[in-house]
Amino acid sequence: MRVIVLQTALGFLLTGMASAGSTVGSFLVTNNDVSTGFGSTATFYSIGANGAVSDKTVVSTNGIGIAGGFFAASRVAVVPQGSDVCVFASNAASADIAGISAGSHTLTGDFPASSTDTGSGNGVGLAANANYLYATFSSSSTIATFQIRTGCVLSFVSDVSAVGLNAGLVGGMAIHGNIMVVTYGDGSIESFNISNGVPVSNDDAENSAGSVNDHLPNGVDITEDGHYAVFGDASTVTTLEVSDISSGKLTPTVSYDVGPSWNSGTVRLSPDEALIFVTNDSGGGITAVLFDKTTGKISPGCTSGPLKGFYSSWAYAGAAAMQLPTAAGGLLYVPEFGLNGFSSIGIVQFTFSGTACTLAEVSGSPIVDNSDPSALLSIGVYPVRPF
Amino acid sequence: MVRIYKFLLAALLSCAGLTLADAQSTGCPPRPSAGTVVNNPLDIYSSNGVLTANFTFKSELAAYLEECYIYQSGTGPVEAPTLRLNPGDQLVLNLTNRLSYLPPSAPAQKPAMGPMASMPGMTHDPCSGGTMAATSTNIHFHGLNIPPVCHQDEIINTDIENTDPPFEYSFQVPTNDAPGMYWYHPHLHGQATLQVNGGAAGALIVGGIEKVAPQVGGLPERVFIIRQQFTNPNSWIAGPYQLTLNYQPAAAPASASPIIQMQPGAKEFWRVANSSSQAFLTLAVLFGKTAQPLEIIALDGIPVTAPYSVNSITLPPAGRAEFVMTGPPAGQAASFWQTGFNTGPIGNPNSAQELAVIQATTSAKEPPSLPPAPAKPAASGPQRFAGLAGLTATTQRKIYFAEATNGTNGPTEFFITVDGQTPKVFSMSDPPAITTTVGAVEDWTVENRTGETHAFHIHQIHFLFMAISGVAQADPQLRDTVVVPAWSGSGPYPSVTLRMDFRDPEIAGTFVFHCHVLDHEDAGMMAKIQVNPN
Repeated sequence: MRVIVLQTALGFLLTGMASAGSTVGSFLVTNNDVSTGFGSTATFYSIGANGAVSDKTVVSTNGIGIAGGFFAASRVAVVPQGSDVCVFASNAASADIAGISAGSHTLTGDFPASSTDTGSGNGVGLAANANYLYATFSSSSTIATFQIRTGCVLSFVSDVSAVGLNAGLVGGMAIHGNIMVVTYGDGSIESFNISNGVPVSNDDAENSAGSVNDHLPNGVDITEDGHYAVFGDASTVTTLEVSDISSGKLTPTVSYDVGPSWNSGTVRLSPDEALIFVTNDSGGGITAVLFDKTTGKISPGCTSGPLKGFYSSWAYAGAAAMQLPTAAGGLLYVPEFGLNGFSSIGIVQFTFSGTACTLAEVSGSPIVDNSDPSALLSIGVYPVRPF
Repeated sequence: MVRIYKFLLAALLSCAGLTLADAQSTGCPPRPSAGTVVNNPLDIYSSNGVLTANFTFKSELAAYLEECYIYQSGTGPVEAPTLRLNPGDQLVLNLTNRLSYLPPSAPAQKPAMGPMASMPGMTHDPCSGGTMAATSTNIHFHGLNIPPVCHQDEIINTDIENTDPPFEYSFQVPTNDAPGMYWYHPHLHGQATLQVNGGAAGALIVGGIEKVAPQVGGLPERVFIIRQQFTNPNSWIAGPYQLTLNYQPAAAPASASPIIQMQPGAKEFWRVANSSSQAFLTLAVLFGKTAQPLEIIALDGIPVTAPYSVNSITLPPAGRAEFVMTGPPAGQAASFWQTGFNTGPIGNPNSAQELAVIQATTSAKEPPSLPPAPAKPAASGPQRFAGLAGLTATTQRKIYFAEATNGTNGPTEFFITVDGQTPKVFSMSDPPAITTTVGAVEDWTVENRTGETHAFHIHQIHFLFMAISGVAQADPQLRDTVVVPAWSGSGPYPSVTLRMDFRDPEIAGTFVFHCHVLDHEDAGMMAKIQVNPN
């Protein structure tokens, strides 16, 4: 408990620092990518110092979603821009990206890619740096590049085809410096060079080590130094894979089976990179594994088991977002894809005693998001993790 | 000139094993319109111990995709007749595959299954695999306890392509097989959903049930085949569907329901097969809104230990129930329903649906009746699976259903795994997951670790359904397909405990067990078992 109090206090301090260039306070945003007839929205909450969320504001994205799709596709990207913070939220069926000013909670526009970029099958995933936003369109299996302009406005640049070695569609995506790594959900992965903005394949597509056992990389994250790409697999156990990308290209992955909770499809490195938080998307829980950022090795940690309401009020969990951009990240916010009309946000506390860890849902969790009719798979937070 | 061409064409086709009628026929026989009287499928009977039938398997993209077994009867082409045999009879079924439909969204053609499959210039051997395309096929005789060898009931390597000459299935119904309702359907891995959805399924009835269940003797006999057809004719994966009853849409209120006409208050023997690809059914006969008693006589083709009464019957895909029902009195509103089935938090919807209205009218023509029960029960020889409940299992195994998915809409990997082994999406080249020996009696616990219901089925044998989630069944029955309930998200995984009987040497060989939700099976929820001769 002492560790947590310190973490929270430190986090509060750093949160203030991270917001120094911005007038926007800490917030959490969900992309409610619902289907025709409901009206897609993004929901903003303020995050208090203790991690509690409040002050809900709903902003229409003026688009149409599909209420579901790939777990590994992050449907929201948060990009600080001067004193404002831009939120980009994808609309799967209308195949465009909504720009939102988080400072004013106003829609800045809906920005389509090319007419052949479509995401109505399994959604549109996003990743961004300060200058470019990349969008994976799951139906056309293309990656679109947008330039981020002042005022949270996007300009479409171009798109590239990205199809897996086994005909899989592009799903997971992470960027770091000059490299983009994507997954195809069919066992294969690939990296792209984005040094000129637009992705150019590194011609290094490979089937992952885990794919021989039907463990299929889905989610992906990249370490702060760009040394390793970490993958979370769709599988019947918690399976992660690591590829050394220090050369600027993928190398053969090393596969780790680290626990019994199945379908480990999305992964997030903690800010200090000592942990990887894994969402067991169809197991209803969160797993934390220990990560050695020097060697890239993974070892078992702990798991939450199914969170409250699993299979009674919600059915799938999306990628977890972290409260803080430091240390272990503070509280975890887990998108819970609703069954009975509404989605919810699970809140999970991680603790580590030095020898053992726990993941436990906090009292008051989940927060029911009644502005999201059963479509929540992605959450963004601000301040963002620094890498 | 035209005649000459026809003659030449006929000669060419004859060389290829075809008939001119096959070549000229453009598609499937017409199916009944909504809101009409439901009739039994055509019966074709064995004679002098042999039933020989010729089927042509065709496809036609009409309002729905139709994939039809065509039998040329004396009055014209008929779809999926009921095969009527007695224990010990020989079935000779010549199947000419002329499927032509390829779904636009079908995956790329898979590699050949066997080394002989696609060698240029060589004749294709259907017993050695093939392309496994949507236009290839084979047949599984579901529930029959017959050998897993090519030309009998083998589906792993049997691949009949749409250019092959007629393929002969020939086997003897075991003399010790129970009288009851079995069924036949395509079972080509990866294509079973499409072909069964297209309507390729029919009943096979082993005669003589009145000898073991005398209460059905002399009763009018109805045969109902419940199928699914998908509202998107190009549907390749699970999607919106409608049920059909003997090929007539059961889609009220969108269309008029099928009509079952009965004499008022008549007692009848109903034989119902769930030949849908994925629908779990809870069947009931309602007078007004009140469920009527149904006397269960047989399940999955095997008479129950003692008939019993229920108000509804749950049938997984592939399950069959045979029961006695009493029709409504004149003027009583009555209907036959699927009352709905909850397939779990992430399962497909199985909504309530009226299957038919039942009209009690003195003008009704009752279907043919079963023979009267013998005055004195005939002495029966040894029955397959006899004494299974009292045996001690030689081996215990745990098997589980699991899924891994990339998203809420899939694609999903489906697994059936022997505990301790690595979950693997089924491939035809996989080694057996289980090896056992003729003579073995094994207790299997089949667990469901997913949020949707599955239907466990094993080929070649029936099993004794002993327990659900550890709770013993009061009166265990022999089944070949059972519901494995969905996991609720907390607590132990639901399970069924099944006693497997590998004592009969006829079933030695390699065959499969799988989920009978066919899109699960097609996507990999299947494994092999090898039973070695003793």
